[in-house]
Order: sequence, then C-alpha cells, then structure tokens
Amino acid sequence: DPRCFPRRPYAALLRAAFHSLLHHPHAGNSFILDDPDLKDIDPMVLKHCHAAAATCILEAGKQKADISAISACLEDCKLDKERIEQFCTEYQKNKDALEILLGSIGRSPLHITDVSWRLEYQIKSNQLHKTYQPSYFVTLNVENSDSGSHPDVSFSCTMEQLQDLVGKLKDAAKSLERATQM
Amino acid sequence: KLNVGVDTVQHGVEGLAYLLTESSKLMISETDFQDSIHVLGFSDELNKLLLQLYLDNRKEIRSILGELTPKLPSYHNLEWRLDVQLASRSLRQQIKPAVTIKLHLNQHEDQTAQVLQTDPSTLLHLIQQLEQALGEMKTNHCRRIVRNMK
Repeated sequence: DPRCFPRRPYAALLRAAFHSLLHHPHAGNSFILDDPDLKDIDPMVLKHCHAAAATCILEAGKQKADISAISACLEDCKLDKERIEQFCTEYQKNKDALEILLGSIGRSPLHITDVSWRLEYQIKSNQLHKTYQPSYFVTLNVENSDSGSHPDVSFSCTMEQLQDLVGKLKDAAKSLERATQM
Repeated sequence: KLNVGVDTVQHGVEGLAYLLTESSKLMISETDFQDSIHVLGFSDELNKLLLQLYLDNRKEIRSILGELTPKLPSYHNLEWRLDVQLASRSLRQQIKPAVTIKLHLNQHEDQTAQVLQTDPSTLLHLIQQLEQALGEMKTNHCRRIVRNMK
C-alpha cells in the first residue's frame, strides 16, 4: 500500500530484507529498526511487510525465477511498476549470494575439507624389534553441514596402502574430468 | 607316546616357544642363534633342527608379534562415487558435483566403513597433498636415515 510505505522506506525495507536473509540468518531483526528511513512506519506493518518481502525473495531464489516471472508475480500482487523495478534491481544484485545460501542448506555426509599427514619410520616396539618400516598417519579434516565441526577421521597406513588410496582418488578425479567434458 | 610327565612336556613347549619368540623378536642372526643354544648342551643334530625351526618360522612369528603393537585405525580400502546434486528442498535447478567416498578402516579386528563427501577442488587438493607425502620417502633426508638405521 503506497500510503503506508513511501518510496524511501520501501527501498530501505528491500535492502533490510535482503540483508537479514543473506548476512545474518539467525540474528535478530535489529537492522530493520536501525535504518532511519523506516522509523516512521508502524512496527506491525513493518513486520508484516518484511516477512512478505523475505518470503517472496526466498521463493524466487528457490525456484530460480527470472526477472519476468518475478515481475509477473508482483504485478498480480498489485505493486506499481516502479516498485517492481526496485525489487528486481535489488534481487539481481543479491541473486548470486542468495543462490549460494540456499544451496548450502541441507543434509549431506561429512564433508572433507583438508588432509594432514605424518611420515614415521618405525624402528622397534616392545613386542618386535628391528621393524624398519615407513608408516603414514593421515588425518582427514571433516565438517558437518549442521554443526560445523566433527572429530576428524584418522588412520595409519603403509606406503603401499597410501599408494592404493591415492590411486583410487586419482581414478575419481579422472572420472570427474571426463564427466565434465561430456 | 613321549613317555614323560605332563609337566615336562609343558615346560618343553614353553621353553621352545620362548626361545623362538625371543629370537624372532630380536631378529638375531644365524650365528648368534647357534651360539645361544650351544650353551644348552644339546647334540649337534638337535641344534641344527632348532636353527632350522627358527629360520622357517621367523617371518610368521614376527608378523604375529607385529599385531601386538599399539595400533591406530588402519586403512583397508576406499570406494568412491561421483554424484551431481540437481535439486534440494531449498534450491531447485542445481548442478553441484560431489565425490562420495566410503572409507573402510580396520580397528581392533573390527572393520568400520565411513561415508564421506568432498567437492572436486578439495579432491584435487587431497591428491596433491598425499602425493607429496608419498614422495617424502624418496628424498635425500629420508634415504639417509633409512640407510643409517639398518
């Protein structure tokens, strides 16, 4: 409704909506209240409009909607042309970040982020002397999509076993390369 | 059949076992072994038999003893699979390649399998890092140490 929401507050609302989605998904809504352009708007109206804007943004992002689809949708909601344009411009600016955010939500197996290794030369143990064997200790740093951290996966292996492991990883990489060329 | 008491047999077996495990553990040479058992005062034929027994079983005894050392989970096998994520509940029309890995490890006679995932660039990074690790044994530093330890 153009009467409750003059032009400048509308722009501020859009900015705030995108900002709160993309930069602080869990934080409170202090950003909306901080913007001086919005201080004259009734808080209840502000809250509803922010929620509506955010929902619209998320839905458009989820469906990977293009500008024409968004415009059509907003026309149905009876927004005037200027406001639709403002929305679309703001959307275009934030589209990539939105896509990244939405793409990162969801469950997946533990994600390997890095690897560390240690090379040892075994000389003896109390059970067995003169072993003289190289041994590797490999740690895979993993991340959980939910909680962000997880105990790392560690294991020891001989040189042959490590060669086997690396060989298999290289097979996977080659396969990946072939797949991207198809 | 041996016509001796149970205790004697048991002691005999234990003695032999001790002799063989200690010799294998220390990986003593033939001459050292012969010198050691010479003190026991057995016949030459028996000594030769004992020496042969030692040499024949040394490798197997050593591998069994090797199992007794403190162990960390060790690598067994790795299976991999290429996936491409096309959509999720929160985002449609994606093309997100991923490599899913099943890592089989051994720990204390149990085999565990863990499912992990990584993206293409991390995979290449892993390969590069681990190849560097493999290359380390061939460096002059490591070669020198190996030579001097033997």
